[in-house]
Amino acid sequence: MNWPTVAVELALCAGVLGLLLTDALLGPAKKQAIWKLALAGVLVLGGVLWWQRPWIGQSFQPMAAGQAMFVLDPFAWTFKWLFLLTMLVVILMTRVFTRQAGANIGEFYLLLYSALLGMLVLASVHDLLLLFIGLELLTFSLYVMAAYLKTDARSIEAGLKYLILGSVSSGFLVYGISLLYGTVGATDFATLRDAFATGQMPLLAKAGMLLVLAGLGFKVAAVPFHLWVPDVYEGAPTPVVALLSVGSKMAGIVVLLRLLYSVFWPVQAMWGGILAVLSAATMLYGNLAAIPQTNIKRLLGYSSIGHAGYLLMGLSTASWFGAQAVGYYLLAYLFSNLAAFFVVVTASQAVGGDRLEDYDGLSRRSPLLAATLFVGLLSLAGVPPLAGFVGKLLVLLATVESGRLWLVAIGAVNVAISLYYYLQVVRRMYLRPAVGTQPLVVDPLTRAALIALIGGILLVGIVQEPFLRALSSAIRF
Amino acid sequence: MPTVVPVLAVLLLAPALGAVLLCAVPASRADWARRIAVAATSVSLALAVWIVFDYDRATGGYQYEVLIPWVRPLGIGFHLGVDGMSAVLVLLHALCSFTGVLISYAIKERVKEYYIFYLLLITGVFGVFTSLDLFFFYFFYEMAVIPMYPLIGIWGSDVKEHGVVRFSKEYAAMKLTIYLTAGAVLALTGLLWLYVSSGAGTFDVVALQHHLSAFPLDARRQAMIFPLLAVGFGVIAPLWPFHSWSPIGHAAAPSAVSMLHAGVLMKLGSYAIIRLAMGLLPDGAVMWLPWVAALCTMNIIYGGLVAMAQKDLKLIIGYSSSSHMGYVLLGIAALTPLALDGAVLLMFAHGLMTALAFALVGHVYDETHTRYLPELGGLGKSLPFIATCGVIAAMASSSLPGFGNFVAELLVILGSWDRYPLQAILAVLGIVITSVYMLRMVRGTFFGTLPQTFTHAQDAQTFFARLPYLVLVAVLLLVGCWPRPLIRLIDVSARPFISTFAHPEAIRMATTTSSQPR
Repeated sequence: MNWPTVAVELALCAGVLGLLLTDALLGPAKKQAIWKLALAGVLVLGGVLWWQRPWIGQSFQPMAAGQAMFVLDPFAWTFKWLFLLTMLVVILMTRVFTRQAGANIGEFYLLLYSALLGMLVLASVHDLLLLFIGLELLTFSLYVMAAYLKTDARSIEAGLKYLILGSVSSGFLVYGISLLYGTVGATDFATLRDAFATGQMPLLAKAGMLLVLAGLGFKVAAVPFHLWVPDVYEGAPTPVVALLSVGSKMAGIVVLLRLLYSVFWPVQAMWGGILAVLSAATMLYGNLAAIPQTNIKRLLGYSSIGHAGYLLMGLSTASWFGAQAVGYYLLAYLFSNLAAFFVVVTASQAVGGDRLEDYDGLSRRSPLLAATLFVGLLSLAGVPPLAGFVGKLLVLLATVESGRLWLVAIGAVNVAISLYYYLQVVRRMYLRPAVGTQPLVVDPLTRAALIALIGGILLVGIVQEPFLRALSSAIRF
Repeated sequence: MPTVVPVLAVLLLAPALGAVLLCAVPASRADWARRIAVAATSVSLALAVWIVFDYDRATGGYQYEVLIPWVRPLGIGFHLGVDGMSAVLVLLHALCSFTGVLISYAIKERVKEYYIFYLLLITGVFGVFTSLDLFFFYFFYEMAVIPMYPLIGIWGSDVKEHGVVRFSKEYAAMKLTIYLTAGAVLALTGLLWLYVSSGAGTFDVVALQHHLSAFPLDARRQAMIFPLLAVGFGVIAPLWPFHSWSPIGHAAAPSAVSMLHAGVLMKLGSYAIIRLAMGLLPDGAVMWLPWVAALCTMNIIYGGLVAMAQKDLKLIIGYSSSSHMGYVLLGIAALTPLALDGAVLLMFAHGLMTALAFALVGHVYDETHTRYLPELGGLGKSLPFIATCGVIAAMASSSLPGFGNFVAELLVILGSWDRYPLQAILAVLGIVITSVYMLRMVRGTFFGTLPQTFTHAQDAQTFFARLPYLVLVAVLLLVGCWPRPLIRLIDVSARPFISTFAHPEAIRMATTTSSQPR
């Protein structure tokens, strides 16, 4: 037992209980301010994570004789920071949403916390069973949150769709786990890795691996497991969509990194090609299908499928540099996508909808909102000097090194395709006359958050070396 | 060459700093925005002039170098430096952007946003001309392309015929951005492939060149990468048949943006082909340049003929630009020092000429609200100053002696005669075509009867309003009458550059024989 390695998760459990208690005790009038508590909680978690530094590299064994189920390696520690950062921004986004949800808002933060717990566990996971628990913790919270607007039929539909397709994917995952357990006789990553060290895999284990990959494919929204994305993105409350598209996707990629680059590393010849083909299909599908969209959340949903393609492309290289590129891409994607969603949350309240027409002339009504969305979308498209450019460049470079030039060509073409539909939004914001005349007021905290996100996008885009060094020391198993 | 001040860094960062500063200016203070833009571009212009005079012609090579290691694990460095060729182009861009900012005084709407995008565009172009690192080269290249979208989309104008919209500015802006980005990512693929297959582990152009001269890539690899770079950067050059974004982009853009676009942005492509495609892949260049020479003849003749058929003033100049860029590409493809000198000098002279022409059309459009040739006429009476400059621009474009264009096109044709006699003859024909449409344009705009509706048209009255035109005309004439200093400056770098292709015929023989067994 090595308690300090799980300190953040324990503190978060305490936070969940604390929120539950506060929610029960506070009067309905004061519940509007509960986000402050949630925000403070995340900051405290940051402190705990910082305090954990001496224990980096150690692991947690619930049974004295067993293998480690939970590790706090540099990889886990680094990505936990990103999860906390995501949650920080999402909580700031929910402030507008609290007015919509009314008195039920306390439980919402509870669910956000349990989703965070799932993500933090997934960063450290070193056992297939714990992997399943972490993933379910995350997705169950998301099911409920997706359907949180009980009066909105689209929200209910989104929650239900996500629940059904998500359960199917969990089924895949569990079946895969059972097959792997059946052939190896263990569920912890170290034993599994040793079992496949020769590069040979029994047929059943191969099937197990593919099923596990399919289950995770749902989480990162890769083709052909992407069907839930557009409807859920459109219907679910926007802060939840932000969490879904950044947090949940990042959690899926983090788990994939650990599985592929540690457990299934010896059999990389088997998954490299599969991922490359999936990545090409995902990029093409996501970006082409985004073109005709008329709803900004659907558009961002398809765009997030496209980005899953780039992430898979980096994973498919089966090289450490490719893994670092994926890490960098995630960092860039985090800032850019959160910036975009923050604007969608803020603007949709004021303009009254998520249709693209509602964004007509946004730059005249609120220069800051328009500028943030402009920067966020162009960063997603991969335009220098913004973060997304460096992410794409590194992924493409790693893929050139791996020798799959056809995949590089498809990735490069997709940059131009994605730029087309991102510019359609820019066109509406900057080129069209405004729909309303009254300027949109952005409160100071939101203003500060938006500026900080723009700053983050520029920083990650211009000063690459420190981030790249941090990633290269973090991504080792 | 040690200098106390990193001249190039200041030159590059001045417009960027201006853009950042502008973000803090309240949107209502258009006068501040203008002043900041003028100040930023004046700093760059002063430094560019200083560099051209101060560049040590005896030593040659890259000077005023700045090298800051940026991403060491990948061998990326923030490496700036200019040689004779890029110094001339930096001067061209500094002149065009300075006059462009002055011409932009005609912009009355959303002035702050306009100058932010404009200064970002200027920064990007300076970055491309001064970067000696593949990463930053691409970085600035793409940074120069993207601001074009809002600049054209917001402040541009639809292209109309008889009052009917032929294509909208939104269409033109989108087409331009997507074409250029598609070209850029194609080139990026080539650059990354080159980086990986060189095995040098550096993005530094100079280091990569050293490495590749010691361990050249095999000819087959070069033959595969070169077209990626040549076509990718050729899109912006604009190499026929990838040129169709360019005339409509020029036509829809606001005048000051057309000035930079036709004057400088198109030169990024030919510059990138010289610096990267030819500099790093000499064998691939020798193999593929005859194709470039063949295609650029299409630019010259086809572009010229299409320009003859146009009735919108900006479209005429737009197609004329893509026609004249054909001469530049021909000069590059000829692989002789003479032709390369001519090509770079033509980039300079044509850039100034086009900038002047677009500025003039902009003034005419602001006064008459039309660019449609059949609706114009007789403006020489009410706009004597503009008309004079217009005639000068037309003469320069038709490469009359006394203008830099004459010297440059002569050098290109002489220099490419030995290798591509047919293309050289067609190029001479292109000059005739140019004078046809240029004279038609001058006649149709400035001579004939003045329609009643345009009697109120105002000339450029104040010295300040005339300044940009005067600057451009003066430099054009100066270079035409006394081209020696600039040619010497270009030649310092062009001659050693061409000498790396010492025996192109021998290399070609070697590569064809080696690839035959396959």
